[in-house]
Amino acid sequence: MKTSLIALAFATSATMTSAQTIPESVTEPVTITFYNYNLASAGNGADATNKMIAEFEAANPNVTVKGVPVPPQDIATRLQADLVAGQPIDLVQMPFAALGFAAENLGAVALEDIVSEAELAGHFEGMVPNGLELGKLDGKTYGLAYTFSTPVLFYNADIFREVGLDPENPPATWEALKAAGDQIKATTDYLPLATGIYGPTALDWLMQGVIASNGGAVINADRTKMTFAEPEAIEAVEMLRSLAQAGITRNLGITAQMEGMAAGNTAMYLQTSAIQGYLVKGAEDNFELRAAAMPAFGDKPVKPSNSGSALSLHSTDPAKQRAAWELMKFLTSKRGYTIITSEIGYLPLRPEIVEDPEYLGEWVKDHPLLQPNLAQLKNLAPYVPLPGPNYLQIGISMMDAMEMATFGEDDDVKATLTEAQERTQRLMP
Amino acid sequence: MMTDAAKLSPMRTRRAPALASWDTAVGHALMIFVSLLCVFPIYWMIVTSLRPSNAIFSTNLWPDAASLDNYAYALQAVPMTRMLTNTFLVSLAVTLVQLLTGILAGYAFARWRFRGSAILFGAIALTWLVPLQVVMIPNYLLVARLGMIDTLGALILPHIASAFAIMLLAQSMRSFPTEVVEAARMDGATHWEILWQVIVPNLRGTIASLAILIFITTWNEYFWPLLLTRSTENSVVQIGLQMFISSEGTQWGPLMAASTMASLPILLIYLLLQRQVIASFMKSGLR
Repeated sequence: MKTSLIALAFATSATMTSAQTIPESVTEPVTITFYNYNLASAGNGADATNKMIAEFEAANPNVTVKGVPVPPQDIATRLQADLVAGQPIDLVQMPFAALGFAAENLGAVALEDIVSEAELAGHFEGMVPNGLELGKLDGKTYGLAYTFSTPVLFYNADIFREVGLDPENPPATWEALKAAGDQIKATTDYLPLATGIYGPTALDWLMQGVIASNGGAVINADRTKMTFAEPEAIEAVEMLRSLAQAGITRNLGITAQMEGMAAGNTAMYLQTSAIQGYLVKGAEDNFELRAAAMPAFGDKPVKPSNSGSALSLHSTDPAKQRAAWELMKFLTSKRGYTIITSEIGYLPLRPEIVEDPEYLGEWVKDHPLLQPNLAQLKNLAPYVPLPGPNYLQIGISMMDAMEMATFGEDDDVKATLTEAQERTQRLMP
Repeated sequence: MMTDAAKLSPMRTRRAPALASWDTAVGHALMIFVSLLCVFPIYWMIVTSLRPSNAIFSTNLWPDAASLDNYAYALQAVPMTRMLTNTFLVSLAVTLVQLLTGILAGYAFARWRFRGSAILFGAIALTWLVPLQVVMIPNYLLVARLGMIDTLGALILPHIASAFAIMLLAQSMRSFPTEVVEAARMDGATHWEILWQVIVPNLRGTIASLAILIFITTWNEYFWPLLLTRSTENSVVQIGLQMFISSEGTQWGPLMAASTMASLPILLIYLLLQRQVIASFMKSGLR
């Protein structure tokens, strides 16, 4: 009921704002809030975000940005509480999974409704089209792709050498990965493969990429029908089950997966490229860490999904909307992505800066692990947010069923997924 | 004629010292073992805080290259000193206010019989069963309307009275000897004087134990400060610790360094009040 009231309130305000255009510039002092999850963790993410805010404020003396640190898993609930409490919410670093909910229930404003077409086109020029698609719902941009990463197969080159595998040729397909896993398992005690597919923070972002790479999808394109019990999805989960049954992978929590890889006890790890910095620290002076693209199903094209966040604008006041939009532009500018990539570790959504010595040119030469991630950008299958106010319940129910189908005792993957698909369909709006 | 028991008794007396010392040795060995089990996680926390990041998963009992780098990083990455000060102030204020309301309410329930007192006491006891999460959003809305978001006062406000403190102190005061209270009454003492000059000094142990419990509970609180604070400068140490844990990897070294720093004040307070706490437990056991 409360959600519906909030949705109604924002639907009304969105209609009101759609008729107006924001001012050309910020002429009076204005303070905006920026809900940001990088600020909620100590270290590079927070430092780089504070640095960008400071540079923006220096260039825009009329704008004061108040950063509000909120952990990513709490953002949607925190925004709900703050909306009801009447707290100002201007700009949000919104996880992609929550973007649909933000547009439908939390008052995210479509950029096309407040910014002129020419100004939008000017800013979008040079950005990865697949990245921009991520923030679009019903043809309008409710989120501007911001921090961004794709799944990468990290591997321990020392373990590969130890068992006679060629570290120059990491597995490019799931079949090759299974063969490599069998070889590692037969001769060592290392865990051949860990994946970040399951777990409380993953939801379905990585699974969407795995299923898309086999030609399927968890939900149809117009987000009205769950499709994760279709043959392609079943085949993908059956492949994961075969890896689990062979002892090549195990159902580990995310901390155990990451620590196993960082400690040198796991041979391969399919996970977001965002954890690269953590793995590099563990590998230093211990083992050689390398990265490869996400594996394919036979000769089908790989369709990596993405994790990360978009910037969603929630202000209803035109002056604050202009200030928030200016901050969005700066954060996704060439300078912004230079800081984001080199200091946090996310992908630059402006590929032209990768070879530009003024921006990332020199940095990329010293950081070869970024290359597989960059190469995957052109094949990206943008993450599809689950719809409606029950999006989390739908996602959790679906992933629980897939986890059961992968690691449970019942061999009938189709029956497990079909039952879950019917159940989650009833939760759709 | 001697009974079997009488015949056996000299023998039992001769073996008693040996058995007693054996029992003592086994008892001590067991206690030392259990103590080591309890202390080991603390030892491991401190050792991990001294390890460099590429040796964080080492199982050596002592790091090859121990350093204080993690402490320096933790202090620089989050405003640790500020957060520790905030947490200390909030915990101290909550402890004092909760003890005050608990003592006053406890005395009222213990000494006075008034209409509806049993129902009121029952109602207070029932609030103990309501989880914090249930009242968190209504509390948040109230605090927002009072304009107290992102203030230390808002961290204290919902905790000014606690059902547990009222119930515990009321029970302790009910079992306080009525003869002593009556004697004070005959000497002309008022309720206020009886409470603060007779009862409270004699309940020092109970109050000290309760103070430690309240202080530690407030010190460890996470969800309410997480919802309420909007800046790290006005936040508390548990939020600071969480900042070293993210889905992109846990920074174990700095986290253990920050945890060590966060544990020290609690340890210090326990050491200061240790005698009172043990006395309180002894009394409870003898009663």
